[in-house]
Amino acid sequence: MRMKSALAAAAIVALAAGCGSGGGGDKGGSKAEPGEPVKLNFLSLAWQKESVAANKQIVDEWNKANPTIQVTYVQGSWDNVNDQLVTQFAGGTAPDVIHNDSPALSGFASDGYLLDLSDKLPAELKSDIPQKSWDTVTFDDGKGKQGVYGVPFLQESQVIIANKKLLDGAGVRIPTPDNPWTWDEFSAAAKKMTKGGTFGVAWPMKSPVNKTLNLALNFGGTFFQTTDGKTTVKVGPEEKQVLQRIHDQLYKDKSADPAALGQGTADPLPAFYSGKFALLPAGVYLRQQVAEQAPKGFEWVTLPPLKGTTADQGAVSQTLSVAQDSKHPDEALKFISYFLNPTNQAKLAKGDWLLPTSVKAASDPSMTTKENGWDVATASAKNLVVAPFLKVNGFDEWKSKVATPALQEYFANKISIDDVAKKLVDDGNKVLERYQR
Amino acid sequence: MTATATRPAPPTPPARHARRRRFSRQTREMWVLMLPALVPVLLFSVGPLLYGIALAFTDARNTRNHETSFVGLENLGDLLTAEDFWSSFRIGMIWAVSVTGLQFLAALGLALLLNQDLRFRGVARVLAVVPWAMPPVVIGLMWKLVYHPDAGILNSVLGTHVNWLADFSLALPAIIVVGVWTGMPQTTVVLLAGLQNVPRELYEAVEVDGAGRWRKFWNITLPQLKPVIVAITSLDFVWNINQFGLVYVLTQGGPGGQTRLPMLFAYEEAFRYRFAGYASMLGLAMAVVVLAVLGLYLWRQMREAK
Repeated sequence: MRMKSALAAAAIVALAAGCGSGGGGDKGGSKAEPGEPVKLNFLSLAWQKESVAANKQIVDEWNKANPTIQVTYVQGSWDNVNDQLVTQFAGGTAPDVIHNDSPALSGFASDGYLLDLSDKLPAELKSDIPQKSWDTVTFDDGKGKQGVYGVPFLQESQVIIANKKLLDGAGVRIPTPDNPWTWDEFSAAAKKMTKGGTFGVAWPMKSPVNKTLNLALNFGGTFFQTTDGKTTVKVGPEEKQVLQRIHDQLYKDKSADPAALGQGTADPLPAFYSGKFALLPAGVYLRQQVAEQAPKGFEWVTLPPLKGTTADQGAVSQTLSVAQDSKHPDEALKFISYFLNPTNQAKLAKGDWLLPTSVKAASDPSMTTKENGWDVATASAKNLVVAPFLKVNGFDEWKSKVATPALQEYFANKISIDDVAKKLVDDGNKVLERYQR
Repeated sequence: MTATATRPAPPTPPARHARRRRFSRQTREMWVLMLPALVPVLLFSVGPLLYGIALAFTDARNTRNHETSFVGLENLGDLLTAEDFWSSFRIGMIWAVSVTGLQFLAALGLALLLNQDLRFRGVARVLAVVPWAMPPVVIGLMWKLVYHPDAGILNSVLGTHVNWLADFSLALPAIIVVGVWTGMPQTTVVLLAGLQNVPRELYEAVEVDGAGRWRKFWNITLPQLKPVIVAITSLDFVWNINQFGLVYVLTQGGPGGQTRLPMLFAYEEAFRYRFAGYASMLGLAMAVVVLAVLGLYLWRQMREAK
């Protein structure tokens, strides 16, 4: 009896130990045997129907042309990609090729999860994308060394989508990419179009941070400054310009539709179609929904970005990166180079209604046609400069904990411009401090 | 028959020794038999728990190139001085107390109703349990549609145009309603079971005394249900304060952190901002708070019961 129970106990312990060690064996992508194709996982965040189709098509073409490097398309979502990646990186199961955007790369780069591509980029790819786009993916590796942590491929600029009938009816000067509206002209035009229940403009400010920070560069507002390696928040006269001007439109000129204030970017579209307001400042991608959903006979135009002291706008880009722990980084980079060649970039840009970083793709006839405002949109790429907040460690936390609520309250006219400045700086510096210990 | 006559003679020392040996052998067999059940508990429950507690005293970050070091109570110090934490804690308490309380009242009403001799009682009882069959994520998605500012059924019934889940002052009440709805079935079922265990004779006895419905409820039903009520409200409280999935789907803690329950806060710290050590301390602190609140509550109830 005693003997038996001891044996049983030993058997169970052995079994449990076996189970325990079995779990942690396979770490991200199996090592390929010679003669077997290399397998890569590609996490894509494409979500618009045309864009998903374009992505899958390019992957299929690659798989057909490269039997030795087989890519599996994995669908992800912008909503939770960073949470997903944090767990996957920590667990060693991250995909080899990762689609993301440059603000997220900063954190992953300094955490050491992404591969530095600076020495590995093929010359052709490198020269096709301008340096200022590469700047949006160049980050500190957490140990003081700068590296390139992704290939930027799609960019977004802020334009104004306008109701053509209301615009023509107001008799204002129509801006062109060479001679855009200044903020003063914009405010005056919005005021002129506000009459009889129609508003000049609508500012959907549910997620106000990136929008205002990118536009703030019009007046040189950077919101962050770095002295002696320590980054702090700064809200001075330059930063206040755009905040104040939008606020004025809402509460002083009353030329902005208050109903749109709490809405997400695409939410005011039904009101836009019905002519409740004339101008909708938005990212270039929003043209897709207008083009597809607007009722028949609704005429709209794309107006170029506004100009303050400059027409500069902060830019972030969508990116493809390679995981540091990927077993096949060279194959992954080969795939990226193919995926982002000028032909494919034009395809992807068209699918997402965004701007390609590739110079050759931008000169593609489909990118410069007058139809659906592509000419204005593509021209606006020249105003894009790297957004200053990109390099700030802890920006994400500052954004969600401090800036979003503070700006929402400010635009809801619950606090003054000085209050919002104080919040952004005082509470913001507390947040940033955690990341600089 | 007297007690002294039936009392057995004291066992002789060798016999006692033998019995103890048999007893210890029994214990050993018991352990062997329990081992298959214990191993998974130790591996997958106690292990991670201890690991989490250990993490709470380090500056661990979810990064690849960070040397984790022991920092003692620094995380706790940071936690106690962080305004974010206290506002999240306050929201968590409002949420847990009001959801548990409302849930209990609504479920008690429903249980009393279902305990009556109604027509279609069987059908009604089944319907009352339906929300239980839904996973929290599905419930969240469903209610998100109910609250949708443009296409939502709530706005179209009320004829309003309110963005319930994005409004600073309405978001928390809105999710509390969902929380109450979600937790009602199990509370109802448990209370209903309790109600059916109340002996009928007690009611008959007070009916003879001429007691009305209210007296019957107050003097018979409630005291008889008390142990069940204590058990289910404490379980509900623990369940509610640790709620995550439902609120994550509905609001993700927004707008502006107005619905950021402690567990959402911990999730954000760990997986968004990657402060694993800090998040572990947060989880630990919440566990201590829950244990303390429950301990106090149960202790009071037990003392009253005595």
